[in-house]
Amino acid sequence: MDISREAYKRVTVITVKGRVDSSTADQFEAAVNDELKTGQRNLVFDLSEVDFLSSAGLRILVMSRKEAQKGSGVVRLAQPSDRVKETLEIAGLDVLFESFLSREEAIASY
Amino acid sequence: MPTHSIVVPALLAEVAPICDLVNVEAIAAGFDSRTSYACQLAVGEACENIIIHGYGKRASGQIAVTVHSVPGQLTVELADSAPPFNPAENQLGPPDPDNPRLGGLGLLIMHRVMDEIDYARRPDGNTLTMRKAQDLGIDP
Repeated sequence: MDISREAYKRVTVITVKGRVDSSTADQFEAAVNDELKTGQRNLVFDLSEVDFLSSAGLRILVMSRKEAQKGSGVVRLAQPSDRVKETLEIAGLDVLFESFLSREEAIASY
Repeated sequence: MPTHSIVVPALLAEVAPICDLVNVEAIAAGFDSRTSYACQLAVGEACENIIIHGYGKRASGQIAVTVHSVPGQLTVELADSAPPFNPAENQLGPPDPDNPRLGGLGLLIMHRVMDEIDYARRPDGNTLTMRKAQDLGIDP
């Protein structure tokens, strides 16, 4: 799994690539927590290149949303892959996250 | 009909190869990619439960994986020697979007994807059998 962060004026984009499961979730969670520690509460997850998302990854998305909401922030998804959408739908959590067709649209939504 | 059996160390790094095996057999069963992915997800969750909760991440455990396919049906059996744990009994209620839970998502996924989940306690461990069928649109 590869993960990177890119800060914009009103939002930070966290880009995740590869397989997100229990073997990689710690790395994902650490990146999210590092960003939350900066005080940023508006997060976009670019998940266009995630090819597997297990419940361990879902848990971090849900945790991020909860933490963001505590600071009046919003978590949104940019171009989630079919696999990401399928995992969210199976878990019934797709309704929690507004998704955008492009990264630019997601950034512009803040 | 194709049957593949492997025995792997109970390590999180082994889950992806198990999912790859499930994908091979799901394709052999004629499943579409969406259904194959759902099966990989469910089996991956079951394996992660065994490794994390069953063995407690002890490196000494093993998982025996048997994947069997016939047209339109996939059966996956996971055998371990961990303490008793019955995921077939742990069916959770529907997700609550207003108060999404952080725990139990793996079990939820397993039960929402698979048609059947059977558990058996052996003297020396657990056997979990999961079945999934997909209508291939073929008249009998």
